[in-house]
Amino acid sequence: MPRIAGVDIPAEKGIEIALTYIYGIGRKLSRDALKALGIKENIRAKNISEDELSALGAYIEKNFTVEGQLRRQESQNMSRMKNIGCYRGLRHRMGLPVRGQRTRTNARTRKGKRRTVSVKKSVKEMKG
Amino acid sequence: MGRSVKKGPFVDSKLLKKVLKQKGTGGKDPIRTWARSCTIIPEFISHTFLVHNGKSFNKLFVMEDMVGHKLGEFAPTRIFRGHGGGRKKEATKPGS
Repeated sequence: MPRIAGVDIPAEKGIEIALTYIYGIGRKLSRDALKALGIKENIRAKNISEDELSALGAYIEKNFTVEGQLRRQESQNMSRMKNIGCYRGLRHRMGLPVRGQRTRTNARTRKGKRRTVSVKKSVKEMKG
Repeated sequence: MGRSVKKGPFVDSKLLKKVLKQKGTGGKDPIRTWARSCTIIPEFISHTFLVHNGKSFNKLFVMEDMVGHKLGEFAPTRIFRGHGGGRKKEATKPGS
């Protein structure tokens, strides 16, 4: 199994897809990297040569922010927004969608599993 | 995102004039403003604003980290007091 950018071990897949297993790399960046290094996209990840592999690693390191560094950057941005108390920070704090999506329905990714709030009457009221 | 770089950030000209004037005189009074869409620029740092939220004015002391945001981002226009009438719930939204 080839190893690129630290811990990631993409496998039996085409190299363009295999690279997207790295956090912070999608199809676009994957294709960009392959194009810049002149590697064919239709090759399997396992069939890639040592040279190409190290070249890919170096290229990704140099041009993209990936994995731990990217995660750190994201959480730093989030805590910055939380600290200054701007709208986006507040939304992050409340665990609601940040970019103006509706919350009347959906928004389940942010809000988590449905919590049904039933309107319960007190025991006295039900008897009386 | 969105706005063309050519134009630069949107800064309310009247507000900017007030800030610069305050810089000259060294005044510290909060500036009352309705210009929620005005971008916070480095000149605004360590000035105090009263940003309208549609009803009242929220006090905002501008810090360095706030540069690039809009004034309105710091004066929420909605208050969420929680759902349901039965039991009292803890306030979800911290009032700032």
